[in-house]
Amino acid sequence: MPSAFQFQCHFILIFLAASKGETRYLEVRDAGEDEPFLLLSEDLKRELSAGQIYRRSLRCIDMLSIEGQFTFTADQPQLHCATFFIGEPEELITIDYDFVNIDCQGGDFLKVFDGWILKGEKFPSSLDHPLPTSQRYIDFCESGNIQRSIRSSQNVAMIFFRIHQPGNGFTITVKKTTNLFPCNVISQTPSGRFTMVIPHQHRNCSFSIIYPVVIKISDLILGHLNGLFLKKPSAGCAGVGDFVELLGGTGLDPSKMFPLADLCHSFHGSAQMKIGCDNTVLRMVSSGKHINRVTFEYHQLDLQEAENRKENSIEEFCFPSI
Amino acid sequence: MKIPLLVSTGILLVALLPCQECRALSKSPAAAPGALHQPDFFQQQQQQQQQQTLPVLLRMGEEYFLRLGNLNKRPVGSFPASSSSTSHLQPEAPASNFLRAAVQELQPLPERSLGSPEEGEAEGEAVEREKRSEEPPISLDLTFHLLREVLEMARAEQLAQQAHSNRKLMEIIGK
Repeated sequence: MPSAFQFQCHFILIFLAASKGETRYLEVRDAGEDEPFLLLSEDLKRELSAGQIYRRSLRCIDMLSIEGQFTFTADQPQLHCATFFIGEPEELITIDYDFVNIDCQGGDFLKVFDGWILKGEKFPSSLDHPLPTSQRYIDFCESGNIQRSIRSSQNVAMIFFRIHQPGNGFTITVKKTTNLFPCNVISQTPSGRFTMVIPHQHRNCSFSIIYPVVIKISDLILGHLNGLFLKKPSAGCAGVGDFVELLGGTGLDPSKMFPLADLCHSFHGSAQMKIGCDNTVLRMVSSGKHINRVTFEYHQLDLQEAENRKENSIEEFCFPSI
Repeated sequence: MKIPLLVSTGILLVALLPCQECRALSKSPAAAPGALHQPDFFQQQQQQQQQQTLPVLLRMGEEYFLRLGNLNKRPVGSFPASSSSTSHLQPEAPASNFLRAAVQELQPLPERSLGSPEEGEAEGEAVEREKRSEEPPISLDLTFHLLREVLEMARAEQLAQQAHSNRKLMEIIGK
C-alpha cells in the first residue's frame, strides 16, 4: 500500500510539472550548457550530412561493400563486366537505377542477380532461395521502366552488364537496409562470430566463408517438441527435421559441396573443426516447428595451424589452399 | 516357369536392342509423339547401358537448363575472367537437343481454343519465357583467389570511408 501511495504521489508531481510547462523548457534548453556533444544544432547537422553520399566510378570487375552512388561509363566496348555487392550479415542490398544509357536493342544488357553466381554456381543455392533461378535475374532491358529499385534477399547481390558503345553507361545508388533474421550470408571477413536464428520458419539457411577456416560451434539449440526426442537418435541426422551441417568445397553453391559433419542435438560447449576448403558453409535446416539457433566463431586457417591438432577437432577435410 | 523366362527374355531384348523411338527423338523433336509417354523408360534404359554422360531428366526447372547450357560449347553468357579455361564439360549437342525437346514435350501445353489472337499472344509469351529459361544463366568465371582479392579491396575501401567519416565528424564537433 505504501508503494501504491508513493506511485500516486509521483504521478501527481509529474502531472503538475507538465502542466507548468517544465518539460517544454527541457526541450529548448541549450545543448552547450550540459552535453555539447549529444545535441548538434541544425547547422552542424546540415554540414555533417552535406557531401556524405559516397561517389566513385565503377570498374568493369568490381566489388562494393559501402553505400553510395556509382557510375560506370564505357571508354571502350565492355562485354564482360560484373559488380559484386556485399554487406554485413544483417544487411540487405538495395540497388536503385538513377540513370541508364545503354542500347538494349544493340545487344547491351544490365541485369541484377539476387545473390552471387560464380562459374555457374549460385549462392544461395536453388534449394535455399525462394525464387527460381530465372526470376533471380532482373533485366533492365525487360523491366527497367517498371522496377527501378531492387532489393536483395540476403547480404549479397551482383550486376552483370555489357555495353558496346563508348560513352554509354549507367549510374546506380546502393543502399543497405536491416535484415532482422539473416538467413543466407556470405562473410566479408575470414574471421568473425555469428548467431543464426530461424524462428519457426520452414527454411534452410547457409553461412558461407570463402576462406579455409577453423570453425568453432559454441552453442546449438535445436528445439524439439516438449524437450523430448520424438525419434530415437540414430546414426547421422537422417530423418531428423532440424539439424546443422558443415559443408566444404571449392565452389559457391552449398548444394554442390561435401558434407563434413552434421549436428542434430542441442549442446552447449565448443565443437571445433578445421576445414581447409576454399569455401566453408554452415547450413541450418529447419522444419518450422521450433526456434533453432546456432552460435559459432571462425578464423582463417593458416598452414601451421593445419599441422597442429587440438582437442575436440576433427580431421581437416580439404587440403589447405596456399 | 516358362512365363517368367519369357518375361525376362523380353526385358533383356528390349534393354539391349536399340530403341527406334529414342533415335527418332534425337534427330527430330516432332517425329515421335510416343516419346511423351516414354521418357522415364528411356532414362532407365540409359542408366542400364553404358552411356554417354547425359544428365538425367529429373527436374524441369531452370536448374536443369543451367546444366544444359554448359553441355555445349562455352555458353554465350559465361565470362572468362581468368586466364585458365574453365570449360571442362563435354560438348553433347545432340543429347542436349533431345533433352530440350523432350522437356518441351513434357511441359504442360497451354490450353488452346479456336481462333483467338489473344490466346496466340499468350502462347507467344509462354514460348518466349520458355526460351529465356532455356538460356544458360549469366555467370562470371572468377577464381576464389581473385574473388578474395576484390573482397579485400572492398573491405579496405569501406574502412577508409569509415575513417574519413569519423575524421569529418571530429572536425565538425571540434568547431
